[in-house]
Amino acid sequence: MRRVHTAVDPAVEVRGLSRHFGTRTALRDVSISVSRGEIHSLLGPNGAGKTTLLRILAGLTRPSAGTAHVLGLDILHQTAVVRGLVGVIPPGDRTFYQRLSGLENLIFFGRLYGLGFRDAMRRARETLEAVGLTGQEHLMIGKYSQGMQKRLAIARALLTDPAVFLIDEATHNLDPEGARLVRELIRNAADRGAGVVWATQRVEEIRGFADTVTLLHRGEVRFTGTTAQLVSLASPTSFLLRIRNGGMAPELMTAQLRAALGGLGVIAPDAGADGEHYVMTVANGSTLGAAIGAISRADLQVLSCHETRPEIEQAFVELTEESPS
Amino acid sequence: MMDVAQVRSAFLPEMRKLSAFLRRDALIAWSYRRGAVSDVVGMLVQALMFYFLSSLVDPARMPQLGGTRAGYMGFVVVGLTVAAFYQIGVTRMMGAVQNERLVGTFETLLVTPTAYATLQLGFVIYDILRIPVRTGIFLVLATTLFGVQVHWAGMAQVAVIVLALLPFVWGVAAVLTAAVVAFRQVASLVGLANFVLVLASGTYFPLHLLPPWLAKTAAINPLAMALNGARAALLGGTGWAAILPQTAVVFAMSIATWIVGTFAFHFALERERHTGTLGLY
Repeated sequence: MRRVHTAVDPAVEVRGLSRHFGTRTALRDVSISVSRGEIHSLLGPNGAGKTTLLRILAGLTRPSAGTAHVLGLDILHQTAVVRGLVGVIPPGDRTFYQRLSGLENLIFFGRLYGLGFRDAMRRARETLEAVGLTGQEHLMIGKYSQGMQKRLAIARALLTDPAVFLIDEATHNLDPEGARLVRELIRNAADRGAGVVWATQRVEEIRGFADTVTLLHRGEVRFTGTTAQLVSLASPTSFLLRIRNGGMAPELMTAQLRAALGGLGVIAPDAGADGEHYVMTVANGSTLGAAIGAISRADLQVLSCHETRPEIEQAFVELTEESPS
Repeated sequence: MMDVAQVRSAFLPEMRKLSAFLRRDALIAWSYRRGAVSDVVGMLVQALMFYFLSSLVDPARMPQLGGTRAGYMGFVVVGLTVAAFYQIGVTRMMGAVQNERLVGTFETLLVTPTAYATLQLGFVIYDILRIPVRTGIFLVLATTLFGVQVHWAGMAQVAVIVLALLPFVWGVAAVLTAAVVAFRQVASLVGLANFVLVLASGTYFPLHLLPPWLAKTAAINPLAMALNGARAALLGGTGWAAILPQTAVVFAMSIATWIVGTFAFHFALERERHTGTLGLY
């Protein structure tokens, strides 16, 4: 019996999904669940299995084992229905007809999604405006930059205001402003109730954007939870401090800093050893504020403080590190 | 089981998508509009070549059509007309899939809620409408410039024959496209098979010139049957009664070929989904 999706079904539900290509395993026993209105990031380095998972959800590849449902619909047996409910943003740059304008491309794809000509034209113009391509709509795709084509791909996915977005490296090739615009558009879609699966290998992209994260490595789930939970897994973070030196010898400065910190953290000159830069790790149970306060109270001036590696990136690296054999 | 309303609700939106393909290909063709001129010039050069060759052919060896013996020029002009319909129809679907794959739009089409049959027809719908126009231009030019005598009243019969042949063209195109989808670099092999089929159709010479065993085999080629019917109608001026039985056989064979082609295309795509290599070229 064919199942009709209901408002209570999760946007995406994957259970025990595996995919093998010959002897190579692209995905092993992967399970994720994405609610409506949620942005779920698939994070992982190259070859982690992110694209394979998205291709399975888009109905382009069959899984070797496991189940996948989109809005409660089985993607294996109700593929055509699922395709009508999903907006896909592929990773490639060339997914349009080069001899057609941006507007004509959108009209064509809009009609394949079932829109009438007038509706396709109207939605094409609206989404072109949303992605900032108004004024460029009559230009042939062959004359679009890679970034413009990526924005057009976003516009295409927005055409039918789908209930689920499958997005693969959406901000690749985009300048920072373009990337911010894309994230904003997707966030707005999520706020309207769409479930989003956002695959990326760029850790910094998901902070403050993704609600939940699944970290894939070599086809296996290494972590799944909220972004905050991922950050909390990171080891104590190091900070690069710039201290006003005043001509003091680095050894003497290091000794004064260590004395000021006491048990609040560990500090050592940075590899550059210019006498001004020091790497500090805050001890468990202490805080960055307490450590800097202690240094300031010792009449040492902290000119700047940066994370040497953001916590989220630290967690990514630790979770994808190979175990020593 | 689907009722009529369900079939209609599934069928009509799919049919409407064909106009999207039509518009897309018309716009792309317009962007290459100088190519249309070279196409007409190419047809005329081909006809000119056969015009000179026709002076070498002994008219006594040409077949009788409706009580009159056809000249070689008329014979080959009608042959080229129908064969072009077949060749363009077949190569267009195959070429479209190869091209879509190459430029990266093939998977983008496949993630839309579009039926495989709609995609197949969508790839060729522009040519299905373009080829009759091209054929008409060719016939008019051939009759005007080279003095070919044509019974224009036979055009209605030719239209019916071509319609009967349409599922055959679609079916062969789908089988060959399935081969390209599954095995990729087989275009030259597919081209060879296609060439043999056209050669054994009597496009360029009467089939009775072939060795008897090959002539008998070629006679059951739907393309050869369609050519015979078209020649009888246009050159011999025969009536409906003479062409309908053969057209019915062509139609039956066409439907069988179309079913095979549709399944082959479906299985080729499913195989690619299974292997995970759909977008590779």
